Amino acid sequence: MDEWKPNPTVKPHKKRSWYLAWKYKLMNQRALRKLCQTGAVLFLLVTVIVNIKLILDTRRAAYEEEEESAQDYDDEMLNVEAPRHPVNNKKVLDVEVYSSRSKVYVAVDGTTVLEDEAREQGRGIHVIVLNQATGHVMAKRVFDTYSPHEDEAMVLFLNMVARGRILIFTIKDEGSFHLKETAKSVLKSLGSQVAPFLSWRDMWTFVGKKGGEVYGEKHAKSPALSTWGEPVLLKTEVHLTSVEDAECHWPDTELNRRRRRFCSKVEGYGSVCSCKDPTPIEFNPDPLKDNKVFDVPVAVIAGNRPNYLYRMLRSLLSAQGVNPQMITVFIDGYYEEPMDVVELFGLSGIQHTPISIKNARVSQHYKASLTATFNLFPDAKFAVVLEEDLDISVDFFSFLSQSIHLLEEDESLYCISAWNDQGYEHTAEDPSLLYRVETMPGLGWVLQKSLYKDELEPKWPTPEKLWDWDMWMRMPEQRKGRECIIPDISRSYHFGIVGLNMNGYFHEAYFKKHKFNTVPNVQLKNVESLRKDNYETEIHRLLGEAEVLDHSKNPCEDSFVPDTEGRVYVMFIRMEQEADFTTWTQLAKCLHIWDLDVRGNHKGLWRLFRKKNHFLVVGVPASPYSSKKPSSVTPIFMEPPAKEEGAVAVPAVAAAEQT
Amino acid sequence: MQKINRNVVLALLSLTSLIFLLFQLCYYKFYLSQKNGAAFSKVRGSQSGQESTRWHVVRKFLGLISSHNIPVYLIDPLILRLVDKDIEQIRSSPDGPSPECKYFCTPRDFTTFALLDKTWKHEVGLFKTAEKMGFQWLKIINKDPRLDGMDDLSGMEIPLHYIFKLASHAIHLVVFYERSGNFLWHGPLRLKQHMDRKFVPFRKLHFGRYPGAYEKPELLLVSIDDLEVQIPKNPSSFLEEMSHSRFLECRYREARAFFQLYPDDASLDAVEFRKKAKSLLHLAALTLNNLGVKFWLSSGTCLGWYRQCNVIPYSKDVDLGIFIRDYKADIIPAFQNAGLPLKHKFGKVEDSLELSFQGEGDVKLDIFFFYEEDDYIWNGGTQAKSGKKFKYLFPKFTLCWTEFVELKVHVPCETLQYVEANYGLEWKVPVKTWDWKSSPFNVQDNGVWPIDEWDNVIQIY
Repeated sequence: MDEWKPNPTVKPHKKRSWYLAWKYKLMNQRALRKLCQTGAVLFLLVTVIVNIKLILDTRRAAYEEEEESAQDYDDEMLNVEAPRHPVNNKKVLDVEVYSSRSKVYVAVDGTTVLEDEAREQGRGIHVIVLNQATGHVMAKRVFDTYSPHEDEAMVLFLNMVARGRILIFTIKDEGSFHLKETAKSVLKSLGSQVAPFLSWRDMWTFVGKKGGEVYGEKHAKSPALSTWGEPVLLKTEVHLTSVEDAECHWPDTELNRRRRRFCSKVEGYGSVCSCKDPTPIEFNPDPLKDNKVFDVPVAVIAGNRPNYLYRMLRSLLSAQGVNPQMITVFIDGYYEEPMDVVELFGLSGIQHTPISIKNARVSQHYKASLTATFNLFPDAKFAVVLEEDLDISVDFFSFLSQSIHLLEEDESLYCISAWNDQGYEHTAEDPSLLYRVETMPGLGWVLQKSLYKDELEPKWPTPEKLWDWDMWMRMPEQRKGRECIIPDISRSYHFGIVGLNMNGYFHEAYFKKHKFNTVPNVQLKNVESLRKDNYETEIHRLLGEAEVLDHSKNPCEDSFVPDTEGRVYVMFIRMEQEADFTTWTQLAKCLHIWDLDVRGNHKGLWRLFRKKNHFLVVGVPASPYSSKKPSSVTPIFMEPPAKEEGAVAVPAVAAAEQT
Repeated sequence: MQKINRNVVLALLSLTSLIFLLFQLCYYKFYLSQKNGAAFSKVRGSQSGQESTRWHVVRKFLGLISSHNIPVYLIDPLILRLVDKDIEQIRSSPDGPSPECKYFCTPRDFTTFALLDKTWKHEVGLFKTAEKMGFQWLKIINKDPRLDGMDDLSGMEIPLHYIFKLASHAIHLVVFYERSGNFLWHGPLRLKQHMDRKFVPFRKLHFGRYPGAYEKPELLLVSIDDLEVQIPKNPSSFLEEMSHSRFLECRYREARAFFQLYPDDASLDAVEFRKKAKSLLHLAALTLNNLGVKFWLSSGTCLGWYRQCNVIPYSKDVDLGIFIRDYKADIIPAFQNAGLPLKHKFGKVEDSLELSFQGEGDVKLDIFFFYEEDDYIWNGGTQAKSGKKFKYLFPKFTLCWTEFVELKVHVPCETLQYVEANYGLEWKVPVKTWDWKSSPFNVQDNGVWPIDEWDNVIQIY
């Protein structure tokens, strides 16, 4: 079209004569001229159309290109996210539930989601929660309702499960002995007709929707006390709902995206997943002024107890002065749910392939976690070590911030711990008071990098040595006479009931009544006096002002200590040499404090509170403080009881037994 | 009447045609320039437009970054080279408008910035804002090398590089991590299968071909081309550092396999020796770094690093290599001041120099000096009692950084050739009885020292 220039004005002037001749010729051939003109018009129109089309085309091409590159990026994101959520379009689920004395199993659409035929474990009511839209298993629990209080835990759990979820119950062995009325009525409210009448060694299976229909229930009565009910197998169908119905409509924010991901996968975390006013997952506690531990990495040692981890992280992230960026959760094993919890809170988590067994496995996990912590934070001089079954006090970091410089400056220190082994409700009183002790309590403590790198790491017990890491750390070869700083009132609370060395009885006897500080911003009062030499001065001052108690009375009796407040008392017990703890152990037993081994001593001296009075116990003559004993006083001697009674101290075995 | 009408119509139509034609041309040109930009074509069509695009993209990026309080600093070698020329002037007049766009408008495809990982929380918000501002971005993640050395830990993958693209310019953001040994590390840039290989011309990036190790830089806030930006305080030394920054990760997986075959010695003696060797190496590194003498792990220490990522517990000494061109007379007094007395000195600067210092508790520090020839490198050995000379030959090598016992040190980049030259193809098998005169694979007799030189070339203390 460039060549065809019909417009006369465009043409140069000298060609005018040629043009006139041409015009004249055309005028003589009207038909031809008309044709030409029409052709020209048509051609022009075509040009216009082609032009417009070209413009539109290039435009579209440009857009498409932009979209393409954007799509490439999208694809990448999808590829990362997709594999974790295989979409199941099926509308109906086949569910099979089996209950018997020695075996339970649950199969969903032919896939076994629970199978437990192990001997001597898994007794009680097994509960499985399914997502009503996808059929995915969201939670798996077993409540040993043969034992006390487990039914309360079950009620708590069932109340936390969101409405609409599918619940599957089955009993293994025995599940009714400590199943109280409250629990039975909760099961009844879920639609179970049998639950209120469940009795000794009955077999029972039940499938229902929380707050909705019942899909099936089967029950077999135990004919006699000594026998179990017949095994029961329940086969039923569950109708799935749409995904939209199963999810809440929270506003679309970064936090809620994490929440949504979490809540679509797991159950049993209560209000964090409730549609109305879900509990926050970001806490923003007040920052600490002059925080000396802001850059100290925090290693959370975890196993497969996601509910504990959830509770622990909540308290940790609510503590004043916490720095979430420094927190790493180390999970022993490739468990998904603990990782989900870590991701919910936006923290970083590391999984660790288990090495060795039992205590040695824990010990190897500790080593890997500590090494990794100092690798990830090469600048750090310290690390805070926490476990997943601890509540963290609101002033945990404030406590550390005020005391951490001692660890660096005083070479006679081994650690700072948030836990006072002897700090029970009735024996701890002063949140601003600190002690030096020869034992390492653990349960929330600070480790110095130099200690770990130069001494502990190179000779850490190898996997084939089935040692407890904490026992190993307490050994004199490692501790080398160094001491730990602890608070009078613990800054952590050990709530774990299920654990490797832990069970309900043990927890109730030794941990439940432990005192836990809830006061924020406590100003510690005697930090400088904790240095090695200052502490001796402080102890001598204390002993100097202390009133000697009446040693003719029974130290176990309440009346041993006068009904006063805020006084300092001292008593002397017999302690022949440094390792003679006979009397101390008996005293600890009757005072209902830690008596399983010796904790909380400093040169043969124990410090605690009784009736709000500071109460000092000095072991004579082993303790260097024996010189403070008036000559008239005879140290108290308490004999250990006969052997059988001593065995009570190991209740763990009794509880693990099958019925 | 009709005729005029027709002519007028014709004229009008031709005019529209022309206008469309022009319009189309314009549009085509615009489209072409956009496409050029996207493909980073070298066509210098509209120079001024391109130049200001670069400046604008950098400005937008800095705005984005500062709105999220993320501290980045400029490490672009092209710009830093220019900045370095005018560094005095820039330092002396930190602000004040600049008359022309001297730095950020120079022709290039990328501007490179660095980000310290620990100074920001991996906020998603940044990328949302970036998208709103029109940036396309790409994130390159990979395994965390700080956990690589650990038995079976699997952490989350960490971001190593980000690329933000806007119009014809791209910002390359390199994420630096702190490593044990008090240095900064950046990862290699490796594209995963599903990534867009044409997002930017990756080959032209200045960072990411290899991982790199850097000292923690001191930063300086300057205003160049009316933009406030942090740069390394001393750009020329940064550029120098950059040219030798290649980092080698220890071969942790192979080391684990080695320990499967030959379990590690966990005896108290081994623990003690390793502790001593580590502190001796730290002391030696401190001393030599203070002198500015470049050194690398040699012989048994290098083998320990390469084979098992640790000190070989029965090796009894720490071995370092230094190029003879880096020799300084201060080396001996410096070590003596650091508490390491000279144990023996063999050879002379011109030939086969070797120094040995006594470390704490029987651990010896051997320093071998290496002599470069046209096609090989060698160091010498001397037998004290006979005055015999030995020569150990190595293929040519360059130096790379690595992390060893919490220290940033050099090793030969071509470690395998180096180790094989020294220990033969069987280097993977531990040998506990080692004779330095006959065991090495690459030892050659090199004559005998003339007797009259013995006093000088064989000094034992």
